Amino acid sequence: MDIDRTQIYFPSDDTYLLIKAARSEVKPADRVLEIGTGSGAVAKSVSEVTPDVLAVEINPHAAKYAHEVNGIEVIRGDLFDPICGEFDLVLFNAPYLPTDPEERIDDWLEYALDGGPTGREVVERFIHEAPPHLSTVGRILLLISSLTGIDDVLKICQTEALIALVVAEEKQEDGEILYVLRISRDLCSLCKT
Amino acid sequence: MKRRILDIICCPVCKGKFMLTEMEGNDTEIMEGLLTCTACKRVYPISSGIANLLPEDQR
Repeated sequence: MDIDRTQIYFPSDDTYLLIKAARSEVKPADRVLEIGTGSGAVAKSVSEVTPDVLAVEINPHAAKYAHEVNGIEVIRGDLFDPICGEFDLVLFNAPYLPTDPEERIDDWLEYALDGGPTGREVVERFIHEAPPHLSTVGRILLLISSLTGIDDVLKICQTEALIALVVAEEKQEDGEILYVLRISRDLCSLCKT
Repeated sequence: MKRRILDIICCPVCKGKFMLTEMEGNDTEIMEGLLTCTACKRVYPISSGIANLLPEDQR
């Protein structure tokens, strides 16, 4: 299969914000998993800090590009479906744009953008599936936008006994705000139960 | 696909562990091969160093 570059989400403002947050969060001994690595730019940047980086990508063009051009260890898969290990840091630049069914373009790039009618469809699934894959000290950096509804995302985290904090944000020219949430287990709530 | 990740990946359908059939590779990496789920027997290809762990109807 030849790589079709028009089917790949290349680094944009959201990518750079997640890279910045990831670089201040990652430690040299961290086992890192990036979900939806796209071109592999975020995984490549954290690879400069820890050698233990695995990426999952559903799009064949992006997976091949991340592997061959950016040297990322990548498997093709859907979110955590093919993963059974635990990680210290999980990174996800989520598809966060609210997208109605009639707006959908049925191509591979859609997977990088389409968050379903609420913008939270994939984010919600990700947060529900993440906890078993977090080590005790595991944390998640999740990139979403003001369009995704940040209060709703924080509520989803609460239902999974996760604590979420905004660790980076950036306003776009059109008024949209990009956020990086740092999500970790609510260890206090575990003590109470 | 690096050999060391065999322990942290699983069948996306039943979460079973994999048995590796290697066709091409070196000390650290598998370039071509098959991953067979030891539980449900589904088979997933490794091609050009990338394991495709999507269910067959989503590839």
